[in-house]
Amino acid sequence: MSSQPLLQVRDLSITLTRAGMHLPVLDAVSFDVAAGEVLGVVGESGAGKSVAGAAIIDLLVPPLRRASGAISLGGDRLDLMRPAEMRRVRGKRVGFVFQDPMTSLNPVLSIGRQLTDTMRTHLKLGRGALRSRALDWIERVGLPNPRRVFDAAPHELSGGQRQRIVIALALCAEPDIVIADEPTTALDVSVQAQMLDLMRTLHAETGAAMLLITHDLGVVAKMADRVAVFYAGRVVETAPTRTLFEAPRHPYTAGLMAATPAPDHEGRMQVTAIPGAMPGIGALPSGCAFHPRCVRAKADCLSMAPPLSPLGDGAAACFHPLQRKDVP
Amino acid sequence: MTAVRGALHAVRSAPGPSMAAAVIVGLFLYALVVPLFAADPFRLSGMSIMDSFTPPVWMEGGNPRFPLGADDQGRNLLTAMAYGLRTSIIVGVSSVLIGLVLGGALGLLSGFVGGRTDAVIMRIADVQLAYPALLLAMVIDGIATAVYGRERSAGLAITIVIFAIGIALWVQFARTIRSSVMVERDHDYVAAALVTGRSKIAIVLQHILPNVMAPVLVIATINLGIAIITEATLSFLGIGIPLTHPSLGALIRNGNAYLQSGEWWISAWPCLVLVLLVIAVNVLGDHLRDHFNPKLRGRS
Amino acid sequence: MILHAVERVLQTILVLLVISFVAFMLIATLGDPLGVLLPPDATMAERNALIARLSLDQPLMQRFLSFLGGIVQGDFGLSYRTQEEVGGMILERLPATAELAIASLVITILIAIPAGILCGVRPKALVSRVIMFVSIAGITLPNFVVGILLIAVFSVQLGWLPSFGRGQTVSIGGLETGLLTWSGWRAIILPAITLAAFQMTFVIRMLRTQLMEVGQSEHIRFARARGLSEARIWFVYAIRNALLPTVTMLGLQLGNIIAFSVVTESVFAWPGLGSLFLQSVQAADIPVIAIYLIFVGAVYMLINLAVELSYPLIDPRLKRRGA
Repeated sequence: MSSQPLLQVRDLSITLTRAGMHLPVLDAVSFDVAAGEVLGVVGESGAGKSVAGAAIIDLLVPPLRRASGAISLGGDRLDLMRPAEMRRVRGKRVGFVFQDPMTSLNPVLSIGRQLTDTMRTHLKLGRGALRSRALDWIERVGLPNPRRVFDAAPHELSGGQRQRIVIALALCAEPDIVIADEPTTALDVSVQAQMLDLMRTLHAETGAAMLLITHDLGVVAKMADRVAVFYAGRVVETAPTRTLFEAPRHPYTAGLMAATPAPDHEGRMQVTAIPGAMPGIGALPSGCAFHPRCVRAKADCLSMAPPLSPLGDGAAACFHPLQRKDVP
Repeated sequence: MTAVRGALHAVRSAPGPSMAAAVIVGLFLYALVVPLFAADPFRLSGMSIMDSFTPPVWMEGGNPRFPLGADDQGRNLLTAMAYGLRTSIIVGVSSVLIGLVLGGALGLLSGFVGGRTDAVIMRIADVQLAYPALLLAMVIDGIATAVYGRERSAGLAITIVIFAIGIALWVQFARTIRSSVMVERDHDYVAAALVTGRSKIAIVLQHILPNVMAPVLVIATINLGIAIITEATLSFLGIGIPLTHPSLGALIRNGNAYLQSGEWWISAWPCLVLVLLVIAVNVLGDHLRDHFNPKLRGRS
Repeated sequence: MILHAVERVLQTILVLLVISFVAFMLIATLGDPLGVLLPPDATMAERNALIARLSLDQPLMQRFLSFLGGIVQGDFGLSYRTQEEVGGMILERLPATAELAIASLVITILIAIPAGILCGVRPKALVSRVIMFVSIAGITLPNFVVGILLIAVFSVQLGWLPSFGRGQTVSIGGLETGLLTWSGWRAIILPAITLAAFQMTFVIRMLRTQLMEVGQSEHIRFARARGLSEARIWFVYAIRNALLPTVTMLGLQLGNIIAFSVVTESVFAWPGLGSLFLQSVQAADIPVIAIYLIFVGAVYMLINLAVELSYPLIDPRLKRRGA
């Protein structure tokens, strides 16, 4: 990487306060996103990836709290900002795509009102310009008949159409980076592919960087330039997408690749090939959090957590990483 | 021993409701014990114009015989309030019981018979929502006066007030019991028990009673507060219970006339007692509701 | 939408007919109108005239229809107590009650809505806790105790405001109003606060609960994530969602509010409909009681109908319901 990355997260730790105890949810996580780059963040639900995304623009809801860590965006320390400064970052410099289109739009305000309100907050535009730009955005996210959609209430649109509006709302103030938290999870399978196409098109058009949070390796393979794999609140591996898929280094990543994800009883995709389950919050084992499930674990894995160390053109947090030849 | 320990535990885990329960017990004792030792000051023998407007004992002109002072008729407020409180409690409890019996009967009828009967009863309940207990009780009292004539209705006053408030309170009881019946009556065990030759009503009642006890207790407590306020308000307005009969509302109404001239104690003490009673009952009702909440949910 | 509205209007009319029938039966079966209304030395002709006037010689259903017809034309019958037209008595008292109702509504809007928003947005702030604590009084204290308390403090102790009556009134087009005189304004303050006490408590508590719930929702988080100001988030994005349930619940409390107006008018000797009703109950004046019953029912039903039919203006989700 040439110069300073656009978004830099260093040693971000987040705790959950429960019964007076501060349990770690995210433990000294670091990652970068370069301008225009798409970083895929993958992991099982509960690995801490959504929390990491929310923490960047200070959207954590108590009892979750940022304990330590530095977050910089284009050289500005987001973690040190006062609320008023943070408000000028949200939407304007960092867009956020929410997961569930059914609950993310205000049910009593028209689509047009929500778009123009968002743009008015960040852009110096007159009434007419706001309206025409909102109509533009409705068209750009692929909705027919923008004038009708502008005056429509959210309940008059389908789930897929609403998610397009959510994307338009995240992009309409032209942010430098978009954080997309499971943008396709709540949608029908048939709509998911369309949504990925739309996001790819918009990414190419706007040039905005993207932090794509997902549990779906297929989405990552299609969209991301680089990938960060989360496990139990830590980054266990980062690598360019192609490298990661061709030669995963961390045993957990390798297990993810080998596994056929199948939906669990709640409809979430679950990795079935690795025996056992990811430890819950406050139940972390000593040493490497993955060792109870790892076939390569040795004595040293039990005593100390392996740091994330450079390996090839990526990095892995493992004392006994797979070699390129180990992968079938 | 265990009872003492249980009580201590209750006080520690829920100080508010425990205090409310203590206040209620204290007021009940007050209303029960004082009349044993003191004559009814609303009788003529209980009044003495000589003592009228005696201020509370710690004020200038106070008299140890009248610790809280006396009213315009020379009634000892400490004893007058005990008699008034007794009326409040009798009217409150009896009218809630009437509401319970009436609502219970209509709720059972509605739930068991269903169909048009149910629709009619529930429609009446809906319409009655427009008329709160106080307004209905006033109307019923006016009707009673029209039917019985003023002199005869004065003798029946307390009974009329009890029925007026009771009739106004049936809706919530009926709704709760009706929905319970509807849930239970179509269960398989009812059909199974029918084979053994027992009547359907007996079977369902047996299963419903344990289920409805909690919500009915909560509704009864909350309605007790409403009934006490309604009685006091009626008496304050000079409706229902005649002024010659002891009641907190009448004492307050009476004292209200002397507020301007500075005899604050005539209305202040009965107000205080009434408010204490109502707040204690409400706190207890809220506590019961929260306590039984899972049972109340999904029922209304 | 239109169909749904028509259906609800028809339902309301049906319920009002039933209420009117009950009220009519009260008048028809209770009391002795001839004995009350005729002077002891009335002639047979006078007696027959009154029987015709009250249609006592007609069959019951016929009398009910003419009773309804009378109501539609503004003829509400005669009071047993004053022997006056009930309609005229009500019309004479209506402005005082309307002024009181409007004043208490204004107080509720000016105080309870900001206070409720404050308690919902900052539930843990000291001010919010104080407001919530004080508001317990509005729910538990009997209405007349609130009135007496206000009189004791502001009339007796401080001597700032009068404790009874309407002050000076001015006649406009035959209707008396106290809102054009200084003494009228001073006189309405305490009764209006007394009447508003319950509504204010109710609105504050409802708004707080609703706002706390809406504040947790995803769409508010998303609005925050887009950088909208806290002011816009609470006052436009959240309040719109919280207002509808609050207004609906308040509408259902209208019966209570009317009952409290009777008490308030009695405490402050306010010459409105409530005190007319009170005097009528004391005198067992059945025709006035019956008409008041219809009046209360009609106000309750019509206002709640209006609230329900205006939902689609506030919440677009309801626009197509029932269509």
